[in-house]
Amino acid sequence: MRSNRRWLLLLVGLVIIFIVDFPILTVALNSFRTTENILSSRSILPVQPTLANYAYVSTRTHFWAFLVNSAVVASLSTVLGIVLAGLAGFALSRFRARILGSYNQMLLLVQMFPLILAIIPLFIFFRRLGLVNSFLPVVLVYTVTQLPFATWMLRSYFDSIPRDLDEAAIVDGASPMRAFVQIILPLTLPGIAAVSIFSFLFSYNEFFISSVFLRDENRMTMPVGIQSFMQQYGTDWGSLMASATLGMIPTLILFFCIQRYMVSGATAGAVKG
Amino acid sequence: MATEAIRSPKAAAGPASMPIRRKAPIQWLPYLLLLPSLALVGVIEFYPFISGASYSLHKGNLLNTGAFVGLQNYQRLFGSTDFYHSLWFSFLFAFFNVLFSYLIGLALALFLNLDFPGRGLCRVLLLLPWIVPAVVSIVSWKWLIADRGGLVNVLLGDLHLGPIYFLSESGWAMVAVIVIKIWRSFPFMMLSLLAALQVIDKTLYEAARIDGANHWQMFWHITMPHLKNISIVQAILMVIWSINDFETPFLLTQGGPSNATENLILLAYRYTFGRNDVGRGSAVALLTLVVLTVLATFMMRQQRKIA
Repeated sequence: MRSNRRWLLLLVGLVIIFIVDFPILTVALNSFRTTENILSSRSILPVQPTLANYAYVSTRTHFWAFLVNSAVVASLSTVLGIVLAGLAGFALSRFRARILGSYNQMLLLVQMFPLILAIIPLFIFFRRLGLVNSFLPVVLVYTVTQLPFATWMLRSYFDSIPRDLDEAAIVDGASPMRAFVQIILPLTLPGIAAVSIFSFLFSYNEFFISSVFLRDENRMTMPVGIQSFMQQYGTDWGSLMASATLGMIPTLILFFCIQRYMVSGATAGAVKG
Repeated sequence: MATEAIRSPKAAAGPASMPIRRKAPIQWLPYLLLLPSLALVGVIEFYPFISGASYSLHKGNLLNTGAFVGLQNYQRLFGSTDFYHSLWFSFLFAFFNVLFSYLIGLALALFLNLDFPGRGLCRVLLLLPWIVPAVVSIVSWKWLIADRGGLVNVLLGDLHLGPIYFLSESGWAMVAVIVIKIWRSFPFMMLSLLAALQVIDKTLYEAARIDGANHWQMFWHITMPHLKNISIVQAILMVIWSINDFETPFLLTQGGPSNATENLILLAYRYTFGRNDVGRGSAVALLTLVVLTVLATFMMRQQRKIA
């Protein structure tokens, strides 16, 4: 292909990116404009950039609390999910039993489930326990939602480690669990890290489950918090844009860390469309 | 249940690469490993599913289970326009979402499959609509299509065209929700199709070119057959996700105006948390599961026929 044509394609690509990512670009750019300017300006770049929105969101709202809550919930559910998925993935990878085959199918069905069918009874249940505004139900539900994908991914990472390695250890007298922990796990650490980040990303972005359970302002996660801003300060575009920009920064950072693992739709299951 | 596990004999024996199988009396390890996952899924999804089904047969609210009413909730649903509208909108939403996110995803996948510098970066940047949290995107879109001061209407005003009240007119609101969903969904299709494109044997194209095939023929007779399977699988997934989508319509319109953009999930939510009618909310949720099961079975059968 002639060199000129290749650079032309890049140019086309950049134009497409500008159009497609325009909403995301404008959120960031608008966060540096006052609300009046947002409503009237026609230029792409802010004419009189200001940090006033950020100052307002930082000091006059619970936004940082939202981020902390999101971090806590996402971390807990990721850790729990990876542990459970790791154990199950190991079982699926190294053992043969009929239950394991049906476990796979069950995971597939779980993916299809309309969450609200479970959320209604869970909400009532946790409410009776007085645990509605706590992180516990949210962490548990997130873990379950992540389990199918994480189990599947971890299992395939474990599959890629030749059995000879753990079998050698077992012949030398180690138990299967010890072989798992001391041989398989260290070798699959990068894969485990990638799956963990995917899980974290999903939990961080998630809105529905958090919004049902976390209704107190100081318990809300980032998405729920920003949504409450939309309800309360619906026309305060400056603050909305600033909080939205801040909210998406962790997502972007994590995404750029794992983007090279996203080479196929296989990894799509984690970050639901 | 016959289970085989690799267990070490007490005495050292045999070459390390040969698996040593022995039928021990109880192979408990795989069960033990699965137990925590199974327990959690059982408690969080299975038990509530049973509960939810039971609630749908009662006339309860968030505080009391209420009286048993049999299928009354379902009968009332089948007589309500709200239910049929939400069913209709769910299908509309899923149909257009899958159709357009597929077409756009395919176009961009074909584009990214070409060889040009920086295409890796382009791929990453085109994934953003899907990666960025829904709230964040929707804050932006809400401004873009705002009745007053939104960029689209400001530009329309400059062209002396009337403002379009995207979020206050039923028809436009439905369009807006669907368009934004397509915008958020296409990267997933693009990614899967790109991965599938990249494993197609390039020599097939060269042979076809030598035989005098043009671009369209190569696309239709080489590319598309290779994409058939992945396309169907991803379409099925996307339909399921679309029907289950709460975030996009809720964040944008809360199901308004006048419940125009209410899908099945939002309807269940409104009945439960808005009207405190757990019976009807659970009934809608259960019916959604039925709809999904029917759709999934139907689509998978089609897949088996085509594949």
